[in-house]
Amino acid sequence: MLEYAQFVLAPQIVTGLALGVAVILVALGLTIIFGLLDVINMSHGEFYALGAFIALALGQVGLPFWLLLVAVPVLILPIGYAVERGLIQRVFHSEDRHVTTLLLTFGFGLVLEDALRLTFGPNPFKPETPIRGTIEILGTYLPLYRLFMIVVGGLIIAGTALVVYRTRLGAMVRAAAFDRNMAASLGVPVERVYAGAFAFGVALAGLAGVLLAPIYSVFPTMGRDFILMAFTVIIVGGMGSIGGAVIAGLFLTQVQAIASLYISPVWTDPIVFAIMVLMLMVRPQGLRGRLGHA
Amino acid sequence: MKSLRTSLATLSLAALLGGGAMAAEPIKIGVVTPLSGTYAGIGQQVRWGLELATREVNAAGGIDGRQIELIFEDEEANPAVAVQKAEKLFQVSKVDFLTGTVNSGSTLAVGQLAERSGKLIATTVSFADSITGDKCSPNVFRVNAKAGQQSAALAAWLSKEKPQAKVFYLGPDYEMGRSTVAAFKSNVDRVGGQSLGEVFAPLDSKDYTQYFGQLRASRPQVLYTSVAGNDTVRLFTQLDEFGLLNNLTLLGASGTVTAQNITAIGKAAEGFVTGVGYSAEIDTPANKKFLAAFRAANKADPDLYGADSYGLIFAYKAAVERAKSTDADKVREALRGLKWSTPQGEKTIRAGDHQAEQIMYVVRVSDGKFKIVGQVDGPAAIGPDACTRF
Repeated sequence: MLEYAQFVLAPQIVTGLALGVAVILVALGLTIIFGLLDVINMSHGEFYALGAFIALALGQVGLPFWLLLVAVPVLILPIGYAVERGLIQRVFHSEDRHVTTLLLTFGFGLVLEDALRLTFGPNPFKPETPIRGTIEILGTYLPLYRLFMIVVGGLIIAGTALVVYRTRLGAMVRAAAFDRNMAASLGVPVERVYAGAFAFGVALAGLAGVLLAPIYSVFPTMGRDFILMAFTVIIVGGMGSIGGAVIAGLFLTQVQAIASLYISPVWTDPIVFAIMVLMLMVRPQGLRGRLGHA
Repeated sequence: MKSLRTSLATLSLAALLGGGAMAAEPIKIGVVTPLSGTYAGIGQQVRWGLELATREVNAAGGIDGRQIELIFEDEEANPAVAVQKAEKLFQVSKVDFLTGTVNSGSTLAVGQLAERSGKLIATTVSFADSITGDKCSPNVFRVNAKAGQQSAALAAWLSKEKPQAKVFYLGPDYEMGRSTVAAFKSNVDRVGGQSLGEVFAPLDSKDYTQYFGQLRASRPQVLYTSVAGNDTVRLFTQLDEFGLLNNLTLLGASGTVTAQNITAIGKAAEGFVTGVGYSAEIDTPANKKFLAAFRAANKADPDLYGADSYGLIFAYKAAVERAKSTDADKVREALRGLKWSTPQGEKTIRAGDHQAEQIMYVVRVSDGKFKIVGQVDGPAAIGPDACTRF
């Protein structure tokens, strides 16, 4: 019994935690973009892939991993800004905004994925893990890099929440989300706030790409890996809520981790999606309210 | 419309007359193989192997004085497309023989079509045991090693290197994964190994760490896996990351580690062992000659698919010369029990199930390259004849 807890249950929970942090990192940008712009960014997964590939390319010319953690999001910021101003902004004001922006970002994601395939080829790459070795905690082994990812991921999530909820910039963002016209009339540069928030959201996805590349390897279709789970997390957590995404992300990955011990792992996805369906039926707004509203 | 039909009829009549007038009509071999899509790399090898052998045979006077003509069609690794293209080759191009199918489903489907059309086909790639097992067909031959032969070779190596090994199995959760694990497991049981447990992970799994708890708790000496492509990259590097590769021998299917993913897996692939029907490392004059010709023609090394496809042309040549005809029934009789030489040594087609018997090699990754570490004789690897239809 003790051996079961030590060898099977505990590692499952801990690696589930690492996966949870990974999912939240991808979902974080998605939920901010939805909460603020009311845009469902279907190209989010491809920005995650873009981050991983930029890190791969820069890593090959000799940039150290620690620098990439800063350089890659900084490089993606202007790309995200340009995509929002150049593409999304143009269809943003149409009557059926949800459909047009969804199709636009979906199409952009396809283009990005094919561009990555043409540039780097279809075969996978595996960047060297920056921290090697494992640590033993109460008889449970955890790779140091996963521990690092949990800590750094946690810091990024906390930092993002801090910026959104505790700074003047964040207040502007939340004001623009709550009432676009009122915020504009009070002097908030709404258009730039929107583009900036989109850029920030996709830069977070890129950062997740850098952080997760050594664990999950890098290939053009990697963007599809997390995107379903990330959408589920923000639906259950409440679209636009950072706190909700954290709670839902940790909860759903633990459900998967524990359930896969007792049933075939193939069936853990249906369980997670069933939770999402239940949530949509019982409490469609999700666990927590939208950005700027709670 | 009418005039079109008339002119078509005239044309085909002219073609018939023209054909009859020619001295020695070429023997047409249809090749339905993936030339685009995920399996395009395999189709490329099939094409290179067949074309090289055809050039050699034609240069030496062809088959009974008749030249070989290859006609390619793209099957897109999709059984439905394969059947359509095969039908076209049988009906329109009137091919004498057909090969090239990669996807096991395509081979089975095209095999049924061949039976209805009274033609013969051979696969040089498909692994599924059922093709020459419970779904065998009198019109289908296989000249490459099936999954069972690969497993048998690997199990024989295992019983010698690690007698009574404790084995854990991890396969992708679909037909191929479950059948490869089952095949290897029965071989392990046969050689006295101990099976500790098995898990089946969804295809395209992100994270295999959720199975590592069970893996660690059962303390295996050997992990057998049949995941492929990028799944192998993730599984192996995550095993490495969790420090599980120490004192663990990794075994797998021959599609698990390939030229496509070996660089990405890197150091974690070191020591991986698999059973295959061909390796460029085979040190015989026949293989050295083949290697040199293949490299000169294609600027690349042959893999098992290229070598097995190359060998097929010589089997067909021998059979047609023995039958003195390209008639399906006569060639079938000639192919049954046929012995012929290939780059990897002599192969024999077993009459009872149309499966080629051949020496199987065990190869291990060292310094990022496959090296031969053992071999198993043909009769020991092929296993019992499970075909009951003929």
